[in-house]
Amino acid sequence: MQAEQQQYSFEIVKWFAYMAVVYLVVGTGIGVYIASELAWPVLNFDNPYISFGRLRPLHTNAVIFAFGGSTLMATAYYIVQRTSGVRLWSDKLAWFTFWGWNLVIVGAVITLPLGLTQSKEYAELEWPLDILIAVVWLAYSFNFIMTLSIRKVSHIYVANWFFLAMMIMVTYLHVVNSLAIPVELFKSYSLFAGVQDAMIQWWWGHNAVGFFLTAGFLGIMYYFVPKQANRPVYSYRLSVIHFWALTFGYVWLGAHHLQYTALPDWTGSLGAAISLAMIIPSWGGAINGMFTLSGAWDKLRTDYILRFLIVSLAFYAMSTFEGPVMSSKTVNALSHYTDWTIGHVHAGALGWVAMVSIGAIYHMVERLWGTTIHSVKLVNLHFWMATIGTAVYITAMWVSGIMQGLMWRAYDDYGNLAYTFVESVAQMHPYYAMRAVGGLIFFLGACVMLYNITVTIRKAVANSSAKEAALVNATV
Amino acid sequence: MTKLQEYFNTEWSAMTGTDWFGLILTVVIFILMVVVYYWALNPKNKQELESHRTMLLNDDDMKSEK
Repeated sequence: MQAEQQQYSFEIVKWFAYMAVVYLVVGTGIGVYIASELAWPVLNFDNPYISFGRLRPLHTNAVIFAFGGSTLMATAYYIVQRTSGVRLWSDKLAWFTFWGWNLVIVGAVITLPLGLTQSKEYAELEWPLDILIAVVWLAYSFNFIMTLSIRKVSHIYVANWFFLAMMIMVTYLHVVNSLAIPVELFKSYSLFAGVQDAMIQWWWGHNAVGFFLTAGFLGIMYYFVPKQANRPVYSYRLSVIHFWALTFGYVWLGAHHLQYTALPDWTGSLGAAISLAMIIPSWGGAINGMFTLSGAWDKLRTDYILRFLIVSLAFYAMSTFEGPVMSSKTVNALSHYTDWTIGHVHAGALGWVAMVSIGAIYHMVERLWGTTIHSVKLVNLHFWMATIGTAVYITAMWVSGIMQGLMWRAYDDYGNLAYTFVESVAQMHPYYAMRAVGGLIFFLGACVMLYNITVTIRKAVANSSAKEAALVNATV
Repeated sequence: MTKLQEYFNTEWSAMTGTDWFGLILTVVIFILMVVVYYWALNPKNKQELESHRTMLLNDDDMKSEK
C-alpha cells in the first residue's frame, strides 16, 4: 500500500472524495429544506436570505458543482493515474484545483443567499466566480491531459475519453454561456439578449447535463463497474460507439427546452429528433454496464457497492428514455413547466449521478486507505434509503406534474379555463409533502454514508499510526 | 410545392457567412461521425477493439491493487 501511495498521487483523491460526501450531505440537506418550504411556506420565515428563490440555486450548485464536481475530480485523478500507470503530472496543480474549486463553492455559499446572481440556470454565479471556475477547470483539464501524455501504456482506456470529452466541452460551454459585461464587482449583463440568450442558456443547460453530469459519470461507470465486479467490460466496441454517439449527438439537444417559444420551430424539432435518436447509444451504454455482470449476477446478492453501481445504470436507462419522450412536442405540451420536469431531473441526479458516485466513492475509500468499510450493514442501509428516497421523490413529482399539466389546460364548454392557478397549487400540497419526505430519506442515507466513511478513515489512520509506531519501536 | 418540400425549402441567397460556416461544420461533423461508426462497427476492427476489454483487470496484476 505504501509503495502504491508513492507510485500515485492519492492524497488529492482522498481529499476530493471525502469533500464530495460532505457536499452530498450539505446539498441534499438544503434540497430537503427548500422542498419543505414549498410544502409549508411558513418555513421561509419572511427572511429573504433563506427564501426558496435564493436557496434553490444554492442547492443546485451544491449538488451539481460541489458534490458532482468533487466526485469528478477525485475519480478523474484516480482513474487517469491507475489506467496510465503514472503519478499525476503535477501535484501542485492538483492541489490548486482542490483549493480553487472549494473557493468557488465558498463564493457560491456567500453570494447566492445574498441574491447576487446572473439568473442563468446552472450558471447563476457572477462574473468573478465564473472566471475562477474557468481557471480552475483549465488547470484540472491540463493536469489530466499532461498525465495522459506521460502514460506508460499505449492505449488510453475509454473512461478517460469520456473525461476528456467532458473537460473540452464544459470549457467551451462555460466560457461562451458566461460571456457578460460587468458593471460592478458582483453585477453583470449577459452578452446575449432575447431569444439568442435563451438559446445559449439551454445549449449550456442541457450540455451541463450531457457532459458534466453524463459524460464524466460514464467515465466513472466504465472504470468502477468492471473493477468492482472484477470482470472485463461486456463490449469494448460498444463503449467506443457509445462514446462517439454521445459526443456527436448531445450538443444538438438544448433547443428541446424551448418548445413553443420565440425560438424558430425547426430548432425545437431538431432538438427533439436528436434526443429520440440518443436513446440508442444511451441504452447501449447502460446495457454494456449491466451485461458486464453476465455470468456473475450472484455478486449483487452480497456486494452492496455493486448494487449502487448497477441500480444507477437502471436509472440512467430510465431517465435517458424519459427525457427524449418529454422533449417531443406532443408530450412537452403537457409536461413543460410542470413538476414532471423536476421528477425527471431527480431521477437522473439522485438515481444515476448520485448512485454511481456513491458506489465509486465506497470503492475508492477501501482502496485509498487500504482498509475495509467500517460497516457493511450501514452501506446496505444507505443503499435502501437512497433507492426508496429516490423512488418516493420521483413518483410524487410524476403524479404532481401530470396533474398540473392536465389542470392548466382543462377548459369548459365556453372555452374558459376550468381551474385557477391557485387551485392547481392547492392540489399539489400532498405531493410536495411526499417529495420532502422522499428527499429526507435520501438525505439521511447520505448522513449514514458520511458517518460510515468517517469512522472507516479514522480507524484506518489509527491502525496505520499504530503499525508505524510498532515498526519504529522494533527498529529501536 | 409539397408540404415536405416547403418545410425543407431554403433561401440560399439569404445565407450569411455564419450560416455557411454552421452548415459546413455540421456536414463535416456528420461525415466524421459516419467514418467513426464505420471504423468501430467494421468486423475487421472488432478483435483490436475488444483486446482492450481486460485492460483494467490486467492493471490489477501490474499495480497490485488489493
